[in-house]
Parts: sequence; C-alpha cells; structure tokens
Amino acid sequence: MQFRKAISEIKGLQYLAEELDLQSPMGKRFLLDSEMLYNETELNIEYDLIDKVIQSIESDPKLIADIQSKLSHLRDIKGTVGNLDANLILDDIELFEIKSFAFHCHAILNLQKDLKQEVIGLPNLSGLVDVLDPQKSGIPSFYIYDDYSEELAEARKNLRIAKSENGDSEAKLEELFDKAQEIESRVREELCDKIRVFAGDLRTALNQLAHFDLLIAKAKQAIQLCFNRPELLKESTIYNGMFHPMIKDELLKQKKQYQAIDIELQKSVCLITGANMAGKTVVLKTLALCQYLCQFGFFVPASQAKVSLVNRIMLSVGDDQSELNGLSSFASEMMNVNQMVEVSQSHENVLVLVDELARTTNPVEGLAIVNAVADIFYQNNTRSVITTHYSGLNPYFRKLRVKGLDKDFGDQRITKNNINSYMDYSLVEDNTGEVPHEALRIASLLGINKEIVEKAQNQLNMKASKNKLEVINYK
Amino acid sequence: MPFLKDIEKYKSLSIVGLEKNTGKTECLNYVLSRLRGSRKQIALTSIGIDGENRDQVTQTHKPEIELNEGMIFVTSETHYAKRRLFSEVIDVSNQTTSLGRLVTAKTIHSGKVMLSGPANNAEIIRLIADLKEKGVDLTIVDGALSRKSLGSPAVTEAMILATGAALSANIPQLVFKTQYVYDLIQMAEINPELKPKFRGIENGIWALDESGEVKETGISSVLMIKKEKDKLFQFGTDFFVSGAVTDQFLDFLKNQKQVNQIRLIIRDFTRVFAKPETYYAFVKKGGRIQVLDKTNLVAITINPVSPDGYRLNSDELKLALETKLQVPVFDVKRIENAVS
Repeated sequence: MQFRKAISEIKGLQYLAEELDLQSPMGKRFLLDSEMLYNETELNIEYDLIDKVIQSIESDPKLIADIQSKLSHLRDIKGTVGNLDANLILDDIELFEIKSFAFHCHAILNLQKDLKQEVIGLPNLSGLVDVLDPQKSGIPSFYIYDDYSEELAEARKNLRIAKSENGDSEAKLEELFDKAQEIESRVREELCDKIRVFAGDLRTALNQLAHFDLLIAKAKQAIQLCFNRPELLKESTIYNGMFHPMIKDELLKQKKQYQAIDIELQKSVCLITGANMAGKTVVLKTLALCQYLCQFGFFVPASQAKVSLVNRIMLSVGDDQSELNGLSSFASEMMNVNQMVEVSQSHENVLVLVDELARTTNPVEGLAIVNAVADIFYQNNTRSVITTHYSGLNPYFRKLRVKGLDKDFGDQRITKNNINSYMDYSLVEDNTGEVPHEALRIASLLGINKEIVEKAQNQLNMKASKNKLEVINYK
Repeated sequence: MPFLKDIEKYKSLSIVGLEKNTGKTECLNYVLSRLRGSRKQIALTSIGIDGENRDQVTQTHKPEIELNEGMIFVTSETHYAKRRLFSEVIDVSNQTTSLGRLVTAKTIHSGKVMLSGPANNAEIIRLIADLKEKGVDLTIVDGALSRKSLGSPAVTEAMILATGAALSANIPQLVFKTQYVYDLIQMAEINPELKPKFRGIENGIWALDESGEVKETGISSVLMIKKEKDKLFQFGTDFFVSGAVTDQFLDFLKNQKQVNQIRLIIRDFTRVFAKPETYYAFVKKGGRIQVLDKTNLVAITINPVSPDGYRLNSDELKLALETKLQVPVFDVKRIENAVS
C-alpha cells in the first residue's frame, strides 16, 4: 500500500503528513510514493537513519537547519533528468536547473561532512559542477559560456563589435547573430553529450535528497511530538503510554490533558468494553495509526512500543459514508466484517479493528453476531480488537475494560466540559463478561433532558424488581 | 530628457499605451536607451501576454524590446526560447503562466526579446519585490490597459502614458480622451489604514459603515444593480467595488438623491470602464471615486503618426496637452531621431 492511499483512509495519518516539515517538492513526492514495509530489516534501516538524524539535531541543530534551508531551494528536476536520459538536447533553462541542483546537492554533501556521522550517501557531482561552471563563479546562473568554444567566443565578439560600431545594417547584424546562435546550438549539443553521463548520478541524488528531506522531517516530528522508535517483535504488540497525536494536540489547545494508555495485543481476539465517552474508538484509531506509522518507517506515538508487523490493517469504525453506496449502516458494516472474517479464515497476518460491532441492530442478535465474529478471530488466531457495549460475551475471550468514571470526584460537579479530566481512560483486564452500565449517568452529566433519564431509570428499576420477584418465586 | 531624472527616484515604473500604436514600444526603447549610461540595475517585464497577440492581428511590428547589455528581464519560457540575444538564466519561477514558467535572465549582449509576465497584481507585486532582492534598482513593467487583464500597471510606483494619433486623429478629441485617463490617474488614494480591509475582496459590492466596518451588501456585481438596488444604501454611502465600474452603475448612482455623499472605492484607475461623459457627470453631481493603489504619472509621450499613416502636428499636439495637463509631454518619434 502506498502512503498516498493510506492518508486518504486514516485521518490521523494525514494530519501528521501535513505537519511534517518537508522542504523540497520531491520530499513530498517521495513520502506520497513510499510503500508500506513488511520487512523488519528494511524498517530497522529506516529507524536507524531517523535515530542518526535525531542525534544530529540534538548535537548540532544549526547544521540541520542549514541543510534544510538548502533542501528548500531544490527543484524537482525529474523531468529534466528524464530528457537528458532520453538523449534530448536540453535548453538553457533545463541546464540552469541541473546546474542549480548540482550546486545545492554539492553544498548539502559538504554540510553533511560536518555531521558526526553521514546520514545518507550522496553522489559527488563536482565533475558536473565543473562542466557547468567553467568560470568557477560559484553562482548557479547559467548560459552557454564563451569558455566552451573559441569559435563561439569569436562569433559573439564580432557581433558585439558590429553592434557598437552602429554602422552595419540590421540584416548584417541579424546574420551575425544567427551565425553565433548556430555555433551556440552546436556547443549546447556537445555540452549535453558531456553531462549525459551524470544522469544516473542526478537521479540517485534526487532520490537520496528527497529521502534525506523526509528523514529530517520525521526526526523533527518525532522529537516535537515525543514519538519513539518501535521495537519489532514477532508475537505481541505492546504499547506503553500510547496516544493519538491529533487528539492530544486538540486537547492541548483547550488546555486539557491527554491520558496516554498501555495496551498489549496478542495473536488473538481482544474485546474492549467500557462506558460511553471512555475513548474506546480512540483506542482503535490510535492502534491503526501506530501500525501504519510503524510500517511506513515512522516512529510511533508511545513512550515505548513493541510492534509485530502485519500484512494488512483492516479498520471498521462505522463512520464511512454508507448512504453513498446505497447500503444501510448495518449492511455496509456487515460487508466490511465479512471481508475481515474471510481474511481471518485464510490465516492472513492482519490487524483487525472493529468499533462497536453490530451496534445498529437489536441487542439480542447483535450480541450473537459479536460472539460469532469474535469466535472466528479467536479460532484463527487473528490479531483483532472489537469494542462493544453488549454483556454476555463468551467467557474465553480476552476482555479489556476502560476504567471509566471511577476516580474520586471530591465535591466537583462533573459536566460535559470537565468529564474528560475525571474519566480514567486506562485499560484493565476484565473477566466478568459484564459491561459497565453508565450510559444514563453519562447522559445526565451531558445535561440531556431530565425526563429521559428519569423515565429510563424507572424502567430499569421496574425491570430489576420484576427480575428479583421472579428469582424469589423460582426459589 | 528631464523625466528620466524623475524615474530614477522610483523602484518600479510602468509604461502604458492608451491604444495600440501609440508608441509604447518606442517610448520603452527610448527610456531604456537613456538608461544605458546609468549604473542602476534595470529589470524589465510585462503584464500578461495580450500585447503580442494584438499586434499579430494588426500585422504591425511585434513588440520586441531592445535590451541593453547587463539588463535583467523576465519573460515566459516560450518567449525566452525565441529571444534574439544572448543571456544568462538567473532564475526560473515555480508558478506557470499560459506560456510556461517565468524566466529571469541577464543579457550578455544587447538584443531583442519578447516580453510576457505575471498576469495578476499579487504576482506582479511579488515579482517586483523578488527582483529588488536580486539587486534590481528599477523594474520597468510593459503595461497594458485591458478590461480582461487581472493585472494592472497601477501597482507600480510611477507610470508613463503613451498616447497619440492612433487614439484619435483630431487633436481636441485626442486631448479630451487623454485628459480623461489623466483625471482617472489623479483620483485620490484612500486612507492607508483602510486598504487592508479591501485587499482580499474578490467580488461584489461592499459597504463601509460609519464604524469603519466592511459589510457585504449582498449585491454580487455592479451589473446586478438594477435588480438589487434596494440593498445598496443599507450601510451608508461608502462603497467598495472590486470589479469594473460601468456606465450603467455610475448612471444609477448619479440619479440617487444621496449622490453628493457617495464615495466609491476601487482597486485602481484601470477599473473604471465608463465613458468620460458618464464619469464627469457623476463627479459634477458631487460623487467621489477613490483608489487603493495610486500611481505617479511622470510623463506622457505622444506618437503623432497613426497606423494608417495620418500625421498630426507634433508641436501643436504637445502644446495642447501640456496646457491642459500638468505633466511633461514628449514626442517619441522625435526623441528617437534625436538619439540616433
């Protein structure tokens, strides 16, 4: 999967991509074209590079800023290099682009020498610089210099003399100009032949500089947002202090704290229960985000991360536009889940994340569907997380519960504006199979119409006393 | 020539022809030839590309400009490829025009080049700033007055107007038409503090209420004035019009009882597309028009010869214009002869 496609699916990823401090147009292209990686060695090479850049930023921030400034002057000359490769004659503008690119590349090469350790290998383009800067001016501007050909110099000199004398006719001047221009074309052709050998190096440099740009951006983001290098494991995926950067940022703007959480996923199904507003959906979205980041060679938003690589990430959070494809929300969810189940049955190595499975149908059948789907994942050892509000889950499933509103509130009144600070978002292992019943409490905290809450509470009380009676009668 | 002294004070200058063949190119070439001895770094560009097309239609000579050695110029890739001189590429822009990217180059030898440039005001302003950064002392913009163009030469600090027999073969008529443009250029600039309030507005009629707040009138264009006239005066009598000011609109305003309180604010003088009679009638009734960008008219040049060969008396025309307008007037044909 290409990064380009992944950002269209995962909002959090798009957010991070937009926040990246990329300097060059090809840095951006490089990122969008980059493929998801499934191989530990390849990923570790990328993480090593980010580590190197982070160390460089910490020891010499100015040098990295200088490199970034040089990168910002780069133009994407992919097309020009293509023309060079295709044996075309380049015009002065294209030659200018190549010269200016070679200058900047050379400057970055030299800057990198001052770093404690080389981050990225760059081809030495000084041969190309020598050819395109025959006057050793050190300025990236370009024309077909007189230095390339004595004949050209002579022709231009004649033209200049003729012009200054002012005696010659317009036609004569035109003739002299045409002659000089003809020689110039010939010289340009020779020049292009001469620099054609550098096409491969230019291509490499383009790619390496784009990668360098991206590495610096990744490293700076990792430092800024407190991301850490994931350790790649075969079996479990374990995050300590995992957070969602976009939501953390949003809370920060409102001067609120984000509570990072710990979670461990084995190669099996895991059900997450918890009250409303307890951040279950955020857990799923963060898990998806972390997995993508990890496999696109980014550090991840967690204080410590051990990640097991997967071939595919399948996420169903039920906020896709089901109206558009003519299906009801239930139908569209089922189609989605069906795919997940088929992948699970074929034992593919995937990460499956389902938010509130079967929430749009009646709780009796809904529960049955949850148990059925979870069972398939359980039997096929599919790494999967399902959030649910249903009680009565099969006892052998692993269950995690969000702690929820069990902090000490003191005398504080809880409202929808401060509920976030009283909610304990951490996950605990839970084997009861019962789900918390806090919907009414949360609804009343949100300040919804009292009549709804009271009537619902009465209904529950009546039902409870009836059940009690039945139990007593039965006895 | 005296007006050249004045030019050196400015960072940017536009040369604008009131009609094709009023000698704009001669005027430009003259200015350049005069600047040959100057130690200042001169850059040259143009607004848009329409100049070339028009001249291809009338089959008069192409507006190629003769550049001196060492001068910087900005033109599109297409025109750069057709240049008749040797030059060094200094920069290539990231934005593209319909004729490709803009190339900034410095001439190695004198010679001819066709100019094209950015098509809207923001980009012209940015280009002038960028050239200044590159060490340019004076940027000369080959300007066009066109209803279609989004770019206006009025963004430059100074302006030279080229007029002549091509505009009218009758001296009083020619003077009248030139004076009209002169009067428009002299329209007052609004208070600089107010300018930012209007800069970003792209369409519609907006009002400035008593508290200094800009309010949308809900009238989408001056063309809609007949249909939505009831909305016009809801916030007072100060209006900003982003687009063209037409005969119909000025006529409408002229007939309102509040006409002597009306203040119309427009981008620059090139946004007035009304007949002189309509404009003067509006002003006579007490209406005012003010601009965001005002330029300084430093000189008027005349070309007494029309494209069909008709020749006006140069001295008579010069005298007539100078008596009417407080600006030096020069005959481009004569100064050209004087140069060579």
